[in-house]
Formats: sequence, C-alpha cells, structure tokens
Amino acid sequence: MTSSATADGGQDLAEQMNDAVREKFVMGGFLGEGTYAMVHKAHYRHDPSQVFAVKKIKLNAEYHNGIAPDAIREMQFLSELTHPNILKLIDVFSSKDQNLSFVLELAPRGDLEKLWKNKDITYTAADIKAWTNMLCQGIWFCHENFVLHRDIKGSNALIAADGTIKLADFGLARRFADPGTRMTTQMITRMYRPLELLYGCSHYGGTADMWSIGVVMAELVKRDWYLGSETDIQQVSVICEKFGTPTEETWPGVSALPYYVAPEKQNNMVGTTANRIARPRSWWRQEFMLLGDDGAEFIKGLLTLDPQKRFNSRRALEDKYWTNMPRPTKKENLPKEGGGEKAVGDDLKRKGGETPTNGRADKVARKLDFGAM
Amino acid sequence: MQLTEDDLYRSSTQFRKWSFTAQQLHAQRQKTNLSATERVKANVARVRAQRAQQAADSDSISSGVDNCSGASTPNVVTSAVEVNCLTAEEELKIVNDFCERAIALGTHNNFPSPVVPTCIQYMRRFYLYNSPMTYHVNIILRTIMYLATKVELCTVGHINVGPFAEGAGRNVTTESILAPEYVIMQGLRYNLDVRHPFRGVKAGNMEMLEILHGKYQGPSQGLKAAEVQAQMLQIPMKVNGPAMKMPANKVEERIHQAYSTATQTLRNVAVLTDAYFLYTPSQIWLAAHLLADEPLTLFYLNLKVPPSHPTYPKLLTTLRNCATLISSHRLYVYNTLPQAEKDAREAIHQAEVKKLVQKLKNCRDPDKVDLVKLNQAQKRDAVEGGALEESKAKRRKVARETYENEADAFWGPELANKAE
Ligand SMILES: Nc1ncnc2c1ncn2[C@@H]1O[C@H](COP(=O)(O)OP(=O)(O)O)[C@@H](O)[C@H]1O
Repeated sequence: MTSSATADGGQDLAEQMNDAVREKFVMGGFLGEGTYAMVHKAHYRHDPSQVFAVKKIKLNAEYHNGIAPDAIREMQFLSELTHPNILKLIDVFSSKDQNLSFVLELAPRGDLEKLWKNKDITYTAADIKAWTNMLCQGIWFCHENFVLHRDIKGSNALIAADGTIKLADFGLARRFADPGTRMTTQMITRMYRPLELLYGCSHYGGTADMWSIGVVMAELVKRDWYLGSETDIQQVSVICEKFGTPTEETWPGVSALPYYVAPEKQNNMVGTTANRIARPRSWWRQEFMLLGDDGAEFIKGLLTLDPQKRFNSRRALEDKYWTNMPRPTKKENLPKEGGGEKAVGDDLKRKGGETPTNGRADKVARKLDFGAM
Repeated sequence: MQLTEDDLYRSSTQFRKWSFTAQQLHAQRQKTNLSATERVKANVARVRAQRAQQAADSDSISSGVDNCSGASTPNVVTSAVEVNCLTAEEELKIVNDFCERAIALGTHNNFPSPVVPTCIQYMRRFYLYNSPMTYHVNIILRTIMYLATKVELCTVGHINVGPFAEGAGRNVTTESILAPEYVIMQGLRYNLDVRHPFRGVKAGNMEMLEILHGKYQGPSQGLKAAEVQAQMLQIPMKVNGPAMKMPANKVEERIHQAYSTATQTLRNVAVLTDAYFLYTPSQIWLAAHLLADEPLTLFYLNLKVPPSHPTYPKLLTTLRNCATLISSHRLYVYNTLPQAEKDAREAIHQAEVKKLVQKLKNCRDPDKVDLVKLNQAQKRDAVEGGALEESKAKRRKVARETYENEADAFWGPELANKAE
C-alpha cells in the first residue's frame, strides 16, 4: 500500500483500505430483494468455504440528503453489537458507483415469518421456546448496549444455517433516549407496535421491543398474523379488543397520553362487543394453550399493556419458563425451512462445520414429534 | 444478568479499531503525512509538466487566452520551487484548530449535545488516515458536522441538507456538503458510533448523590450505606488537607460543582485532545472529575476499587496521565492565567495557526481540490464504466481528465508568467 500517485490510480489511503475490503469478497448468486437493498451471496476470495450475504443499499433517487439514515443506523449499531443472536456485520465497503454494501452473516434458512407460513414444517412448543429465547437474548444484548431495535417482527428474525436466530435490520434502531427526549412514535411495523406508541407516548423504552417479541411469539403459536389491521386507529381497537382497554387503574398515567380513548368513549371497535376489562389468567391459558401454563404466563408478561409492568429483557430472561419442561429444543434439532436450503444448497455443502447433516431426516422426525404432543 | 461498563466498551469499534498507544498514534500520523507528501509532490510535478506542455502547445498556435489572474494567485502549480509540505505536527495543529472551530460552529448553530463531540472525534479519526493537504479541513469539517447531526439526531428522522448548507456559510452548496460523504465514510472505516464520557460522568454524579443521601448500594468495601455517607461528609477540601465535617447541603453543592466543572472540561477540552484514542470513556470522565475535585473523586474511586487492590496503583497512574493530557491543553491552562497573559498567548497561537493555514494553501494535492467535481466524475465513471469491463479504464481516464482539467482551471491559468 505504498503511495505512488501513479500506481494507485490517485487513490488515497482510505480509498485503498476500502478497496482492500471489497477485494476480499467474491460476489455470488442472488438471495433476495428488499425495499432498500439487493442481497447477494458472497465468499472470501482466499477461502471460498466462508460464505456471507452482501446487502447492497439501493440508491434512492427520492432521497436528497446523502447517505440514508437507515444505512447509517445499520452501520452505527450493527458493528457495535457482537452477539450470537444478532446478525453480524462483518465489513462495509462502497462500490465505485458509491453504493454502500454491507457484508453480513449469511442466514440461509429464511426467517421466523417464512417458517410459520411454511405448512410443510411442523414444530412444537419446545421449538417455540427455543426461538423466543434466542430472540430475547438478542434483544437483551441490544438493551444492555442502550440500543432500541424498534422494528422487531418475524421477517427480521433470520435463521442461520445451524438454526440460530439472528436479529437483523437495525435501520430504525436508536440509542436509548436521555430522560425528557422525545422520540418519534411512528416506529415499529404497525402489527408489532405496542399501545404506548399508538397512544403517542414519545418516551418509550426497551419494553416496546418486548411487546413486538410477544407478538412474534403469538404468531408462532397461532401460525397466523396475530394483531393485524389497516390503520393505526384500527390497531388500537384490535389490541384493546384482544386484551381489554387500559384504564388509569390498570395503567397509571395512560389517560394523559395524546391519543388515549377511554373505554366509555370507544365506539369504533372492530368486533361486535368490545372487551373492556383486562383478561383473566384463564383467558391467557386458553389463548396460548400450546405454551402450557408457564408459557401463557410468560407471553402475558410480554403482552402486558402497561409498559412499566411489561417484562423488560432482563426480566424475560430470568423467567422460569425457560428452565421448566419442556426444555427449549437444542438448535441443531430445530425444524428448518426447506426453501432456503435449496436456494443455497451448494454453499451449505461447502460450509462444513455449520452444515446440519440431517436437514431432511430431521424434518420427518419433527413431524412425528408434533403428532405425539 | 448485567454487562459491565468494560464489557460494553470492549465490544465497541472505538475500542477495537480506534484505540492506540501514544507511540502508535505518532507513527500513524507520520505515515499518513509521508504518504500525502509524496502524493502532493508527485501530483504537483505531473500538473506542472502538463502545463508546461500545454503552454508550449498554445505558444505554437499563439492563442493568447491565458492572461487572467494567474499572477495574483500564489499557488504551488505556477511556481517552480519545491513544494513545501506540512509536517505531521503542523497537520495536527491545523486539525486541532478546526476541531476548536467545530465547537464554535456548534454553539452558533445550537446543535444538541452529542453532535459536536462526535463531529470532533470524526475529524480526529479521519485525519489519522488522511492529510489536510489531500482533503482540506474546511471542506471536510462541514460534511463531518452534517454527518454527525445525521448520526446523533435520530429523533428527527432525517436532517435536510438544504438548510444545513445555508447555515454553514456563504457559497456552501448542498452538493459541496454531500460530495465528500463517501470519502469520509471510508476514512472513518464506516465506524460511526462514538463512546463519549458524558453518560458515565452523569452516572457517577448520580451515584455520589446517592451516597450523600444514604441510598448507595454499589461496592463499598464492606461499609454500610450510612457509614459511607458519614465518611463523605468528612472529605477534605484539598488533597492532604485536614478532614472536616461539612453539612450535607454543602457537600451536595460540592458534588454538583464538581460535576459541572468536569462536564465543562470534557466538552471543551478533553474532546480536543487524543484522550479518546488513548483512554476509555470511564478513565476520561474520572480524570476530568479528578481535575475538578481530587479528594471527592478519590473517595469515590476508593469505594469502587480499594487502594489495597493490586491494580489500584496502575489505575491511578492511568487516570493521572489522562488528567495531565487534559490539563496541559492550551485552553485548560488558560483557566489558570490572568486575562492579559491569556490574551497574549492566544494571539501568538492564532498567528501560528494562521501561518500554517496559509502554508497549507501552497501544498494542497491538486487532484483533490474540487471534491464536487471529483465526486461527479467518479459517479459518471461508475455508470459509464459499468457496462463494459474493457472500456472501463479508458472511460475512467477520460472522466478523470475532465475533472483534472477543471482542477487545473481552479488553480489558475497556464504558466504564462513562468514561460515568459
Ligand atoms: N443475511 C442474510 N442472509 C441470507 N439472505 C438474506 C440476508 N439478508 C437478507 N436476505 C435476503 O434478502 C431479502 C431482502 O433483504 P432485506 O434485508 O429484507 O431488505 P430490506 O430490509 O430492504 O427489505 C430477504 O428477504 C432475504 O431473502
């Protein structure tokens, strides 16, 4: 990397470092396209057995303020957070056309949303316990680092080759606010957005993410969307109908929130009769029967309306649900998405150590398991 | 289950990529300076040769278009003397000065708290691997400040570059703000998170107040909250001073005063030093607090780590070294001087900086003068060159020459005066 102005093509040290990073990778096949990015496979030039996903941020012609905030946040937070349940950002480089590319851990097994949607896969309560636990560990690490994720949903919980859940997409993340700072409430995909945000509370905390995890867990149980709606107002109704409308008694301070509507004034409910009182324990056990009593208690802790009473990530990890029977499924035994396997089959074979040896046989076994429940 | 400050810091890019020993820092700055110096000299030589060639060509067809302002633009290209490049020490002085300007700029624009300190750390990180001769501090500072607002003000969602450019000064276009963004990102190695000592000093302050109010629950070397509280009321005013009983409200005032002084030191002085490269955020805030109120800080420290602990001497030495780094900064020393003396010293300092900025004018890399054009050329490059691999190099050459010509135009007309 000596600096002969002619030999390096007029590049300065930083440009050379950038190019050196880019040169480390060889681009491979197409993995998927998102709103902001194209994702390709890649591997190390010096070691093709090490595979990655390279996410190239699309140039947004509509955005006139330089590098987009989503990309900035992803760079800012993902490179700080090294944890088995958080998708690792291995490198960043920019290409000649000045698009940013993120080299990410490859998560070739799809995501939790694809998983519950795939009717070829069956899974058990112990599997749900394992997935939810990995999600909780990932978010716990974020919160310990003072980072709010703010976009937890099934499709942002990617699945690595070995079955590990990887929390991804930090495009909406931010640091915990200092007390008194206002944060925007238009965060978190609506279906996963907790009531305090819908009510316009602008100083929420880590428990907002925990609500989202609760919704993902419920989706895994139901194998369906759990709290869907078309508008923010409808979303409030859907939540209140499900869990009861909060009052000053169940959630002190709620009536002071900007968009709070008291039960007696709530007449735009989706269903026929609004359920306005908090749900009894028996309802939770009924609603989440698959999880068992302690599992129902646990998800109740996540789907608690009052953010002060809701489990924070530390509390969630201390719950007895994890140590009670059935124990969370070991990740090598977790049922796996089949589609992803086909798409990246070649890479998996080469990946050696991390390749599950009995993907298909395992799937059959799980089916039998499920039948036995 | 809780991670310690140290656990958190160790996983940060600030620790992994941006922590150095003093020797490493020095060596990297020398290396950056050397490489930039070579480039400037090589590029200037190339441009001079081109101009000589063009002058010769235009002489032969005698087109006399080039008699504009060349003589009044003193610059490196039109002169025949060897380029006088900045040394690493001089570069650092210039960067330091622009970091001070960042504080002024932030105050002027009323940027919320972490924007300016983050901006300054970006500046210091960027110029560890880049030279002001290559990328002028004035241009880079604006974009870095913009980037820092984007990173730190996430509440707003996004910051419009238009108003930012307007606020950044006359003749500042949005394009000139955005053009260096990628260069800067590369220079920062895409690490955007900066760990400041502000959260730590606030937490320490709150803990000291808890101690005072008998509510302390942290490590206390076997003492009860009430005992620690009683001890706190007897902390001497000065190092080695006599123990004295102070009323609780006076101690509370003292704690607030120490916090406020330490925060000022952190915001206005520590950020301008190499402290972030050399020390952890907790070391930095404890050092600033030590400078503000040594007996109080040592009392607090001894609760956390007893002086009998094997690592204590090393810890204290580190804190004192960090404190020395901060307290030997020009602006910190000023606090101890009478106004006249301070003014006199500052005048000398400003004169020196002015001379250096002037010197920088005459040793800039001619290839990197107009970053907007450079940026456009690179983009054009990528778009045009994207299609066909072989034609890429050719197209790039054309594109580069385009902006090189533009850069030449900026540098003033042909070597008319020299050729004569
Ligand atoms: N780390 C990864 N490993 C494997 N595939 C990935 C990875 N990240 C993304 N993908 C694929 O790329 C698609 C789009 O990526 P995504 O992150 O969703 O983009 P966006 O957030 O812009 O919508 C995903 O649906 C998935 O198929």
